[in-house]
Formats: sequence, structure tokens, C-alpha cells
Amino acid sequence: MAEETTIQLDIFRYHPEKDEQPYFQSYDVPYKEDWVVLDAINWIKDNVDGSLSYRWSCRMGVCGSCGMMVNGEPKLTCAAFLKDYYPKAIRVEPLENFTVERDLVITMDDFMAKLESVKPYIVRDDVDDTSGGEYEQTPAQLAQYKQYSMCINCMLCYSACPVVGHDPEFVGPAALALGHRYNKDSRDQDTGERMEKMMEHEAVWGCTFVGECTEVCPKHVDPAGAIQQAKAAAAQYYFKKLIMPKGAGR
Amino acid sequence: MSKRYHPTQPWNWFLKRPAYVKFMVRELTAVAIGLYLIYLLRVLATVGNGEAAFVELAGAMTGTRARLLHVLALAAALFHSVTWFNLTPKAMPMYRGEQRLADPLVAFGMGYLPWIVVTILIFWGVCA
Amino acid sequence: MSKSNEALWWSLFSAGGVLAALAVPALVLSTGFLVATSDPSVAAERYAQLQSVLGWRIVQLAMFVVVSLSFFHCAHRIRHTLMDLGVRGVPLLLMVTCYGGALAGTVAAAVILVKF
Repeated sequence: MAEETTIQLDIFRYHPEKDEQPYFQSYDVPYKEDWVVLDAINWIKDNVDGSLSYRWSCRMGVCGSCGMMVNGEPKLTCAAFLKDYYPKAIRVEPLENFTVERDLVITMDDFMAKLESVKPYIVRDDVDDTSGGEYEQTPAQLAQYKQYSMCINCMLCYSACPVVGHDPEFVGPAALALGHRYNKDSRDQDTGERMEKMMEHEAVWGCTFVGECTEVCPKHVDPAGAIQQAKAAAAQYYFKKLIMPKGAGR
Repeated sequence: MSKRYHPTQPWNWFLKRPAYVKFMVRELTAVAIGLYLIYLLRVLATVGNGEAAFVELAGAMTGTRARLLHVLALAAALFHSVTWFNLTPKAMPMYRGEQRLADPLVAFGMGYLPWIVVTILIFWGVCA
Repeated sequence: MSKSNEALWWSLFSAGGVLAALAVPALVLSTGFLVATSDPSVAAERYAQLQSVLGWRIVQLAMFVVVSLSFFHCAHRIRHTLMDLGVRGVPLLLMVTCYGGALAGTVAAAVILVKF
């Protein structure tokens, strides 16, 4: 009977109720050509160690739940194929730059607050009046922001960003790209509320354009580009306000 | 509320990834360029101090140390220019209707082409 | 979170970055390999040419703008790099040192160029 080929996974473990420090635990997992790292982790939980804790959902790259560090790189584990690492061991760790709750589960409350802080919704200052029908938008207008609307909140960009690493207050790539997405949406009325938030010290100005956020983004959102564009827009707004303090809201 | 593990960023974070190293090198070009600008002001000041002083400086600038410093300054300046022009399309995307113009095209039009023009202008100003 | 004047410094950084990218390589080649010469007759030619071209107000202005904004570009980048490298408790000191340095360079450039 042929021996099944295996691949080794070294997985970060941390139990707050009993561990002072995290440690790594090694598992030998069946190696299948078409498996991804998430399949391997699920196999471990189902067959070897039910205590392993981690987030996952769609397993097809649209929910953004399964982000982890795979050999030091932030990846969606549903998109990281075992065959790209075999026969070497795979090191799996929780997303970098985040507080760890347990094993591979990170605390994402700060991230959620940052998303909210950029007012990620259409802001208008006219009365909510739908009698004229829906807001219309041309394909060209859509093209201005569509790319920045593709974010699945997977937080890989926060792991890739060294500024997040040394400044937990930094609003971060995904949130700033999201703010930019609404600034570029023709249906938004640019009342200045969002711009004021995005011009704060820890918002766009925290970014030093390292660009790694864009490199790791699985949805090609290009948050780095979005933030630079947001900086230019913020600078324009700043000078407009300097010259016309009352009129700059439009 | 149970306790959590709080990782900290190591002081040498910029060595941890090739992309971070490249980023740091890019940022440090500012030091080289800044120092060169101070040197440039000194050369300009010498032009205002009479021909003899200028000829003496021109001769001194052919020395190995001056050549080496210029090569380093040039390397830094070139790295700044290339990284800057290549990033320009990300910071200033251009659209024709729904189509976004390709990055290399924007980089050429907004960066490399003006670069050639300015370079020619400067050489002409120094040598004409 | 604080109101920020960062937009101003970033704008100077941005403008200076473009000008430095466009002009500095040619300037380095000029001083390093065109002006630098051990042949006194070539040096005399260069001297006459530079005296002449730097006498034009437009050239003085262009040089001033390039040098000054490039100084502000470098200052901003150095300031942020120091912050990225851990120098974080002294934001005001960093600003004064870096932008103050750029201002000093700007004044020096003005003084030198206006004499032509």
C-alpha cells in the first residue's frame, strides 16, 4: 500500500488562558495537488486537533475571512496552494500588526472602527427625495471609483503596511481606499465631512507610500494609489479652504 | 476579557522584506540629494567669486573623491527619478471616458518625456 | 485627532519631488562631468557661459525654485523616514529641524542667485 505524501505545517498557537507566550505546533497533513492552505488547516481541525481556532468562510476569495501570514507573507489561505510550497514546511501565523486573541484569530475591532471613521456611505446635503427616481451615473463616472469599491476587508494590506506596524492609530490602506471610493463617487456630494476626517494626522498623512498594501491586495484595489490620490485631493481642499474658508465645502 | 498577545514591530522592520529595503533606499535618496544641493550652492557661489576661484574649483572637482561623490549622487538622483516617475500614474490616473490610460504611457508623458527635455535644457545652459 | 497642516508640507514635498526628479540628474552630471575639468581654458569657457546664463532672471528664478522646493522635498522625506525609524516622541523638533533646514537652504539659494 503506497504511503500518502504529507506536507508539514508549523502553526502559531496561543491560548490566553494558559500561555504566557505563543509557540509553534507542527502537523503533518496529507499533501493533495489541489489543496490550499485552508484545506490543510481544516483537515487538522477535523482530524487531529479540534482546538485550533481560525476564521474562514467562503473558501473562494470573496469573503475576506481567512487572511493569515503564510511563510511571512499575508495571504488568503483559500488562495495559497500547497503545491507552491511543497515539499518545504509551511509556517502559518496570524495576520501581522494585529493583536492576537487566540491561535490564528486576530482582534479586528480597531479595523472596523477605522472603516466607519471615513463615512463609507453616500453623503448628500439635499433633502432625501426619491421622487426624481434613482441617482444616475454614466459608465465613465463608475470607472472613476469602481476599482476602489472591490475591497473585501481581508486586512492583508494592514499586515503588509509597516506604518500600521509602528502606529496602531494609522487609519490604514483599506479604510482610506474606501474613503477615496466615496469621494470619487459622483453620487456623493462632497460636503467636506469625509474630507475633514481623511485629512487628519492619522489618516492619509500617515502613509509614506511604501506600496506593499497594493502588492498583497487579492482584489487589485490598489490602496496605495487611492491614498496618494486622496492626499492630492486633501491638499486641494486644504488650499481652497485657506483661500475661501466658507466656500470650500463644494 | 481574557488577555491578548500584542506583537511589536522590530526596530529593523525595514530589513524584513526586499520591498521594505527598496522603500528605505528610495527614502534615503533624499539625504544624498539634499547634500548634493548644498554642494551645488557652493559651486554656484564660486561662479560669483571670480574666474580664478572657479577654475581652481573646477580642477579640484576632477579628483577621485569628487568623482566618487558625484557617482553616488547620480545613482541616488536616478533612483529617485525612476521611482518617482513610475509611481506618478498611480497618484494621477488619467481617463479617456471609461478607459484608464496605461501606467507606462502616463509615466512617459508626465515623467520621462519632460525629463529628457529638462536634461537637454540644462546641458545646453551649461555648455552652449 | 488633530487638525493637520500636513497638506502644506506634502504639497511642497510633491512639487519638490517632481522638480528634483526632472533636474537633479542633469545637474549632477553638469557639475560632476561638465564643470569639473583640469583644463583651464575649458574651465574659463564654462565660467563665461555660466556667468552669462545665470545672469538671466528667468534662469535665476528657475534655479531658485528647483533648489528651494527640492530642499523641502528632502526635508519632508527625511522627517518621515526618521519617524518611520522610531524617532517619534519629538514631532515639533523634527519639523523645525527639517523644514528649518530647507528654509535655510532656500535663503542661501536666494542670496547666491540674486548676486548674478
